[in-house]
Amino acid sequence: MHIADGIIATEICVVADVVSVGALYAFGRRTRPDDIPRMGFVGAALFAVSLIHFPLAGTSVHLGLIGIAGILLGIRAFPVILTALLFQSLILQHGGLITLGLNSINMGAGALLAWGAWRMPRVPTGVRAFTAGFLGIMLPAFLMALEFEITGYGRGAFFILSIYAIVAVIEGGLCLSIVNYFQKVKPELLEAR
Amino acid sequence: MQHTFLDRYGDIDSLIHRLDPRTRIVTFTLALLIVVSVPPGDLIPFLLFYPFICILVMLSRVPFAYILRRCAVITPFALMAAGMMMLTGGTDQAPMRNAVIDARTGAAISIMLKAYAAVILLTLLTSTGRFHRLLEGMRALRMPPLLGVLSAFMYRYAFILSDEVMRTSRARLSRTPGSLRVGRFRTYGNQAATVFLRSWERSQTVYNAMCARGFTGEFPLTSDLRLGGGDMLFMVLVPAMFLVGRLMV
Repeated sequence: MHIADGIIATEICVVADVVSVGALYAFGRRTRPDDIPRMGFVGAALFAVSLIHFPLAGTSVHLGLIGIAGILLGIRAFPVILTALLFQSLILQHGGLITLGLNSINMGAGALLAWGAWRMPRVPTGVRAFTAGFLGIMLPAFLMALEFEITGYGRGAFFILSIYAIVAVIEGGLCLSIVNYFQKVKPELLEAR
Repeated sequence: MQHTFLDRYGDIDSLIHRLDPRTRIVTFTLALLIVVSVPPGDLIPFLLFYPFICILVMLSRVPFAYILRRCAVITPFALMAAGMMMLTGGTDQAPMRNAVIDARTGAAISIMLKAYAAVILLTLLTSTGRFHRLLEGMRALRMPPLLGVLSAFMYRYAFILSDEVMRTSRARLSRTPGSLRVGRFRTYGNQAATVFLRSWERSQTVYNAMCARGFTGEFPLTSDLRLGGGDMLFMVLVPAMFLVGRLMV
């Protein structure tokens, strides 16, 4: 999911970097000073949970929790995801530095869609939570496939979507259990923003 | 707890470690841009890029074994991209300068070479100094203020939360050893939720404590960032070397 440097055309990456800086200002514009520590902590949590790996189909997958970031932070998830991706890129080499903007747009869009799914009216909480987790992975995967197609990799990337669909179902399940846990322990978190 | 993901080689004494963090950021980012801008299928520049990179690794004194381990991280993704290029890539790839391999194979090889060169440069950027100095360098280079302050908070609490992840992982593994099963979603979910919940609660406590000590929303920079002649030379020479490689015909 984290696109490494050198994979996607540089022109696309540079445009995405510029767009992501614009999005950082747009989505972070109304951030209050007392929101910052909480955003920083959620960003650190996103970085920390990416250290939790679990085995899947002979390989290892780490938790993403893009959906949860969207549920907890709303539009402020974008600056947090950008910062967490910067850390993952520099420290863990998950994704590149030139592709930081591209990865941020992909995953930030996933978080925003997850937020939208979470705010759907008249839908049971469990369905909203699962959908948020699922879409938080599927939209970034779809955007990634689109970027591969534009760069000239052909339609092969769209077949990879089927693998990401499995990961998205897992994330949906995880998102559902996290939301259930929050509802029992600290329900006010889910009412934020 | 022991953190193995950060600052493992940050205290080595080498030519590159002694540089100002801003020099390293600008130099390695420029080198990275030059490397990734090589058109797909163009393999000639890598004949110079890789020797340059080897020289930089030797100058940094960061062990090659560590660099190779970092390269292994991107191997699945790079292989997937190269495989896609070979199997379903466009037929409009630039023709190869030699006739030994076809355009798609050439493009796939260049993708792998670019990805590995990029990850080595990125590893060198982060392994040749303490991470907090790198963040200071970024802030001194006028990164967006929100990104700067979020990075400062994240850096402070990434350690605490990583400890939390390690503790909860150990607890989870002792209770549910073995591979993932569908029924274990709840276990992983509870672990992640616990990490989130504790972070959320601590954010308020720590923020209140910071405000009580006069925190105004900005982290002051340390004043010992200095650009010397050696920094300037490195900042010009290294990207110039990569540019020569890039323009090689």
